[in-house]
Amino acid sequence: MPASVASGEQRSRNVVPASTAPDTLIWFAELRAQALKVYEREPLPNWRRSGFWTTSLRKLDLDALAPREHEPVSELPALVTGALGEQEVGALIVQSGASTVCTSVHPELAEQGVIVCPLDVAVQEHPELVREYYMRRISPDEGKFSAATAAFWTGGAFVHVPANVQVDKPIQSVYLIEEGGTAQYVHTLAIVGEQSECSIREYCLGAPITGQALHAGGFELYARPGANVKLAHFHDWGPGEIYDISTKRVEIARDARVDWVPVHLGGRLIKQTLDIVTAEKGSDMRHTGLYFTEGEEHLDLFTSDRHEAGYTTGDTVWKGALTGNSRASYEGLIHIVPNAQESHTYLQTHQMLLSQKARGDAIPSLIVETDSVSASHGGTVGELDEEQIFYMTSRGIPRSEAVRILVEGYFEEVVQRLDDEGLQELVRRRIARKLADAEDQVAEFIGERA
Amino acid sequence: MSLEIQNLHVRIEEREILHGVDLKVSKGQTHALMGPNGSGKSTLANTIMGNPNYEVTEGKILFNGEDFTEADPDERARAGLFLAFQYPATIPGVSVANFLRLAVNARREEPMKVKDFGKYMRENVDLLKIDPSFVSRYLNEGFSGGEKKRAEILQLAMLKPEIAVLDETDSGLDIDALRIVSDGVNALSGPGMGSLIITHYTRILNYVRPGFVHIMLDGRIVREGGPELADKLEEHGYDFIREEVDGDDAG
Ligand SMILES: Nc1ncnc2c1ncn2[C@@H]1O[C@H](COP(=O)(O)OP(=O)(O)OP(=O)(O)O)[C@@H](O)[C@H]1O
Ligand SMILES: [Mg+2]
Repeated sequence: MPASVASGEQRSRNVVPASTAPDTLIWFAELRAQALKVYEREPLPNWRRSGFWTTSLRKLDLDALAPREHEPVSELPALVTGALGEQEVGALIVQSGASTVCTSVHPELAEQGVIVCPLDVAVQEHPELVREYYMRRISPDEGKFSAATAAFWTGGAFVHVPANVQVDKPIQSVYLIEEGGTAQYVHTLAIVGEQSECSIREYCLGAPITGQALHAGGFELYARPGANVKLAHFHDWGPGEIYDISTKRVEIARDARVDWVPVHLGGRLIKQTLDIVTAEKGSDMRHTGLYFTEGEEHLDLFTSDRHEAGYTTGDTVWKGALTGNSRASYEGLIHIVPNAQESHTYLQTHQMLLSQKARGDAIPSLIVETDSVSASHGGTVGELDEEQIFYMTSRGIPRSEAVRILVEGYFEEVVQRLDDEGLQELVRRRIARKLADAEDQVAEFIGERA
Repeated sequence: MSLEIQNLHVRIEEREILHGVDLKVSKGQTHALMGPNGSGKSTLANTIMGNPNYEVTEGKILFNGEDFTEADPDERARAGLFLAFQYPATIPGVSVANFLRLAVNARREEPMKVKDFGKYMRENVDLLKIDPSFVSRYLNEGFSGGEKKRAEILQLAMLKPEIAVLDETDSGLDIDALRIVSDGVNALSGPGMGSLIITHYTRILNYVRPGFVHIMLDGRIVREGGPELADKLEEHGYDFIREEVDGDDAG
């Protein structure tokens, strides 16, 4: 028997058989069972791109990983408080390994009718709501890890903002890996009702673990007609050997708007698909991301800006930088389906190489299946500009500092789009630290070119 | 206190552009450097500032008697040299204010207090009649030609160098801006600063009267004199000098 199937069975205790599920949850049990089948059937994937690019999991010992339970905490781990900083908390869910360890909802939000709870609780307590949206945009058939996530997830996060409310304090969810050997399967489902406004921030944080760990996640956000959502994803899995294989989808309904800022600042191997769908007329999205890889990290991102209806607009900008021996590939697709006339969108991606051994690519692509749209895209892979460095040094700024300022300035456009100053500062600090850690190799690399 | 260029030969991409330039600018003096397009004025300016693209193959750059020929640009700047660029680079994501703070602090032992810096910047912004919102824009990003020149002069005013090279800072300025920039240069000039003003027009020289005028042709300084030389040039163009020089060579 293939090893991965055995470990699947071991984890299948999380799957409630449809025969024993209460009536209201049969649909859920069936979905789990179907996902398990796909998981068992599918081989471990290898993601191949044109050219030199392959994302392979051959170094991941999946059999050595298992879900880890953690006790609820009254005091948040330093890793979490460090990342959240001084932000106000509207609602917070923290999951470590397989367990929800902390949930809190500000009375103000509760009064507005906002629901924030673990998804496994929501399945029990709000089955109709969950059923209507859960896995509407992600299918277990997409691959082994989508199936694994659907079959095995525990805890998770559920956010429901009713129609016509403005939530002033942010809603935060945190997924934490604190131990080597952890397999973490999670799913976040967020629904923001008609004409409502809110800010949702999700954090993926890793302790400096020894050994390996896996985070496999699903994320869905449904912005209902007229809603306005600011969404941020902050990933920093730390220096440990953490693998992150996730799919995140955002659906924007009529006249709604989502401003999405994903940030990738650490993880041994990350394979993520991020899709944002303007699904109905008048929907509008802005998608601005950044990544900074270092050491032996490997990052493989695919994003798509999918226009399923006419009169929709989009604006995608992704910026990356690489140091050390790291690998980073970004592919960004604009897809305008038939009948989505009068869609206007553009996508820009830039990548900056900062060391001799780093390798990357940035590929914008375009599928347009209708006419009367405007869609433009562009991508650059480059290095620091020597004229800019000269300009700064000619003002007395030392070369190494000039490099730091230029890289920070390069990312600033993205950082500015985060809607919280504390989070902006956190990202700036992480970028500065990565640059400081790589100072010698960057200096050598830049020096060689001068 | 002076900048002294001795027999400077400079190469870019295997081609020699400057063929032995001598020039001395002392504190308190105003010099003008004029010459047709492509004669090597910006090459000289960039080499003075230490642009790594320009290779000095012969000769020396002395600053206050010290050999700066091989010094890094940031060292030169901290020692008191300044170049207002003909084509300043764009620095995305770094505001004018932020950049100024970095540059001002780069030449200080202790960084300036945030409050003091704010005051210092406002004074200079007012002096140069710059719109205060200007300093929160990213440096040179989307700036008009004139705005870029003003940003250069704002830096000059705040960094207070000993010797400043202004590479066509007057080009692309409207009359009012030209007067403001000239007033700025005049205010900074005096015993504390020496300047080398590279220009095509005598217009700026009506506001900033140079004591010395140098004419560059094909990578050499071929004529030197007082302000009357600029007036003569205005009247007759470069051809008369070219002819004279050719005559010299023949004779
Ligand atoms: N970075 C460079 N790479 C290649 N050639 C260069 C470079 N900089 C200058 N040159 C060449 O050197 C010569 C002198 O150019 P320079 O810019 O010094 O002239 P200039 O006197 O400043 O002209 P202008 O009045 O047009 O500003 C020109 O032939 C120019 O093409
Ligand atoms: Mg020039």
